[in-house]
Amino acid sequence: MMDFLAAAIRIATPLLLAALGGILSERAGVFAVGLEGMMLAGAFAAAVTAWAADNFAAGILASIAGGALVGVMVAIVTVRMRADNMVTGLAVNILVAGLTSFLARSAGQGGRPASIHLTPLAAWPIPGLSDLPILGPLLFDHPPLTYLAIVACVLMTLFLGRTQIGLTLRATGENPEAVFASGGNPKLVRMLAVIACGGIAGLGGAVLTLQQVGTFTDNMTGGRGYLALASLIVGRWTPVGAAAACLVFGAADAFGLRMQTFGLPASSYVLQMAPYLIALLVLASLGRATRLPASIGRPLD
Amino acid sequence: MRFAIARDSLLPRIALAVALSLLCAAALIALSGHNPFTAFAAMLDGAAGSPHQFGVALNKSTPYLLAGSGVALCFRAGVINIGAEGQIAVGGAGAAATALAWPIDSPLPAILLALAGGAVAGSAWAAVAASIHLARHVHEVLVTLLLNFVAVLLVQQALAGPLGEFGAGFLQSPKMPAPVWLPRAIPGLDAHPGFILGVVLAAGLSFLLWRTRFGFSLRVAGASRPAALYAGFSVARITWGVMLLSGALAGLAGGIEVLGVQRRLIEGFSLGFGFKAVTVALLGALEPLAVVPAALFVGLLEAGSLSMQRQVGVPSSMVAVIEGLTMLFVLAATVRRRTA
Repeated sequence: MMDFLAAAIRIATPLLLAALGGILSERAGVFAVGLEGMMLAGAFAAAVTAWAADNFAAGILASIAGGALVGVMVAIVTVRMRADNMVTGLAVNILVAGLTSFLARSAGQGGRPASIHLTPLAAWPIPGLSDLPILGPLLFDHPPLTYLAIVACVLMTLFLGRTQIGLTLRATGENPEAVFASGGNPKLVRMLAVIACGGIAGLGGAVLTLQQVGTFTDNMTGGRGYLALASLIVGRWTPVGAAAACLVFGAADAFGLRMQTFGLPASSYVLQMAPYLIALLVLASLGRATRLPASIGRPLD
Repeated sequence: MRFAIARDSLLPRIALAVALSLLCAAALIALSGHNPFTAFAAMLDGAAGSPHQFGVALNKSTPYLLAGSGVALCFRAGVINIGAEGQIAVGGAGAAATALAWPIDSPLPAILLALAGGAVAGSAWAAVAASIHLARHVHEVLVTLLLNFVAVLLVQQALAGPLGEFGAGFLQSPKMPAPVWLPRAIPGLDAHPGFILGVVLAAGLSFLLWRTRFGFSLRVAGASRPAALYAGFSVARITWGVMLLSGALAGLAGGIEVLGVQRRLIEGFSLGFGFKAVTVALLGALEPLAVVPAALFVGLLEAGSLSMQRQVGVPSSMVAVIEGLTMLFVLAATVRRRTA
């Protein structure tokens, strides 16, 4: 049981970081379909940098930069050029999948990717707390990026709810004209939000390469960016809600893996469908009351 | 949000976007230590160097052409349907299921029935999206995007269950019965007739778009929802119309891929097709007939990429770079500018 919950948390960590980034972008009014590409860019940058510099901290910083770079592309095309958010997101996802694979394979020999082998980040048990029964292994015995995700979730809640900039960001997603009228610059807010989204989602990608797998493979995010998108919808665009959704999806995934080991492969597809179905159900059952930011996807003049 | 497009100055802009993305690709190839001219020459040779290879390129273009022209119609109506990915998968499964469930000995009726099965399945999946979107006021982009993943997993579930080949070891259906195999019908080329069908259907869609009342109403709805309402057009009816049509085209694309290329339903056979259909629709400026060269461009790239990798050693994932860049540049170059 503890193993199972720990697996759920492990699966949820990259999703949560990506979802937190997505919340920033969507609360500012830009659909975060590019999360998949941002994560993948982060995963790639983290693996390559950590391997080349032999330094995990450099890898983590590089993942933020890699994701943010994708964020810059999305920001320019959607906010400045006023292109459709969704289609731009799809475009960068295709581009990043191709580019990371191309770069990894160009560095290798004969069309095969360069071999990168990193020892995944080990757990950092928090002294004292990790010895607690039940709670200890569940909450205080994780690798560093998992703690970072939890801290980021709390900080994001405070940022959106308790700071002036957070308020401006939310207002930009709901009523950008009001932000403009009160002297703000809604376009700039959106661009910065999308770039920050890229950085945080890139960090989510670093979780995969630095903390879980230890190498980079083609398209290794495998739809996690879209899953993060579903979880922020289910969490109704709040950090805590998204965290809960990520944990539920992580648990569903862990459960599916268990079923597979018990030789029940068929049902795992239905389980994998659950996040998307739940997201659709949330959207459909709440209708107009889903808290979808009012001006999301609408380009600014 | 609308893809209202100034038709006059469009072609040069799209040509510029394609040229820019090819230029970026050339720079990347040069940076990776290869000669971009040799690489592009190898790509061209692999795509159109022989009738056989050109046939392969035509086959690769076919699903993009069919699904892309449907996507173009939806975008024209201001319905941002990115559900082709799922509709193609479901369409492939529909065609395979029809062919396996009702075997017919003579080819023509067998093929028509199986393709109809694919089109109906794709259309039905689009109908799910349309009904959730219209009945519950959910953003169509979110509905169509989320349903893609459900569709792909449903097809996998079907392959793990009733549609699967027993003991195959991985997720695939039994081989399709021979009568439903699409013939290599284009003389001299190793290609099935799907591309020709796609051109005919694109011409039909173009006629629908520019010469019929429905086409007019959908163009008005795409340009301005208030104008459509004022003119008395039902936006719901338009949305249903374009969604069902594009779903049927995507389903047909899936069916043709199964009957004409794979000859069985295989897990992930259509991975990325629907997203590339969006690329192709934009590259074709949302004009169904212009989607024909756009789809051919992407098909040629993909057919040529493998020989580029083989001959020059440039990884074939270069194609995705070119596709992604083209899509971004086209988006940046063609979206309606603020006029006032």
